[in-house]
Amino acid sequence: MNEVKEDIRSYVLQEFLPGESPSNLQDDTPLRTSGILSSVATLQLITFLEEHYKIEVEAHETGVENFDSVADIAAFVVRKKEGRS
Amino acid sequence: MLDLELTEDQRSLQNAAIEFARSRLECPDIARRDRDEEFHREGWRQCAEFGVLAMPVPETYGGLGHGPVDMIAAMEGLGYATRDQGLLFSINAHLWTNSIPILAYGTEEQKRKYLPRLSTGELIGANAASEPEAGSDIFSMRTRAERRGDCYVLNGAKTFVSNAPVAGLFVTYATINPSLGALGVTAFLVERDTPGLHVGRPMEKMGLRTSPMAEVVFDNCEIPLAQRLGREGRGVAVFESSMEWERGCILANCLGVMRRQLEECIGHVRARRQFGKPIGKFQSVANRIVDMKVRLETSRPMVYRIGRLKERNLPAMLEAAVAKLYVSDCYVKSCLDAIQIHGGYGYMTEQLIELELRNAVGSSLYSGTTEIQRNIIAAALRL
Repeated sequence: MNEVKEDIRSYVLQEFLPGESPSNLQDDTPLRTSGILSSVATLQLITFLEEHYKIEVEAHETGVENFDSVADIAAFVVRKKEGRS
Repeated sequence: MLDLELTEDQRSLQNAAIEFARSRLECPDIARRDRDEEFHREGWRQCAEFGVLAMPVPETYGGLGHGPVDMIAAMEGLGYATRDQGLLFSINAHLWTNSIPILAYGTEEQKRKYLPRLSTGELIGANAASEPEAGSDIFSMRTRAERRGDCYVLNGAKTFVSNAPVAGLFVTYATINPSLGALGVTAFLVERDTPGLHVGRPMEKMGLRTSPMAEVVFDNCEIPLAQRLGREGRGVAVFESSMEWERGCILANCLGVMRRQLEECIGHVRARRQFGKPIGKFQSVANRIVDMKVRLETSRPMVYRIGRLKERNLPAMLEAAVAKLYVSDCYVKSCLDAIQIHGGYGYMTEQLIELELRNAVGSSLYSGTTEIQRNIIAAALRL
């Protein structure tokens, strides 16, 4: 789980928060509801996750319940990888 | 012009396109057709016969299997040799918003069903994406796609749909849920005779008037599941890939026009005499010609670079936005220079120079406005 979180954190910092101190992006920092990730940015992140983890994310799974924080996203990815989502 | 970018085959292809356009797309009545907003159906048929519509489609699906640089070379040649830029605009809309996305995202069944007919020109493609309240903010679209059993039901209205009055196929974007934003956008292949699809009256434009455009309304329009293009909620990827191609290749026509204009203006300033000498001897006139030459020489590598990147399957979003922003600006400026160089005659419609200026203005609007290109570039620079 921690490795997945780090992958996501690195990607979000690099792509969407350039110049931001890594310490400001916590596991529970809101991403979607704070506006850090727009829907277009979320789609870009999802495309990265699908390619990196060989998972497939359905349209109905892309809401804030799964994509509002590093912790939420990592948990979703792990569930997907284990075939539980 | 020394051509460092093209292979021998590509130069031959471009020359063939020039010869074809000169002999088959010659349109002495272009001023009338522009005034009447008349689509050149015979020109479309001739272009299909020449193979333009089949160029980017693999032979497996009835095409000729040419690469992006070939396409750019051919389009530059066509732009150079015909004044019917509206026809070429329609061809671009057809290729980059229909053939290419179907090739990239279509199922095998969809490819076999549509690509051969798009390649022969029997089927004309249109792109139904923009909406009255979702222009540059395209992914805030309101047209709904509601899943009902084995079909989707489309409801909503699209505007600025190029080719709509003559199209047989509409690549249409709708959202499965507006609250999802870009994540809800889904692409569909909608045939013209689908019940519930209504094409509105043609929209009158400032330029590119021989390329027909209309609004399209979807009123409980039932689309079988098999007509979805790509995955549900992934219409943005379909749209972006088609725009990347379009931004690159649609500018190739503009290069051709700029090249022709430059040659015509040079001929004019050498022949036209005022105050006892050719007007090209006046520095203020010569400087305009110099600026036109510099714009053309700096624009060409940008457009061909997109082709080279696409040929290697590399992303070209940033490069396409840079080229679109720069070349469209150069195109408009060179048209204005061409008018100024011709003086009062350049302002007269019969000279057809003002026609090209009106066409050129569209280039700063279609396929994403100049302002949107700046946003794309800024985002790519992570600003």
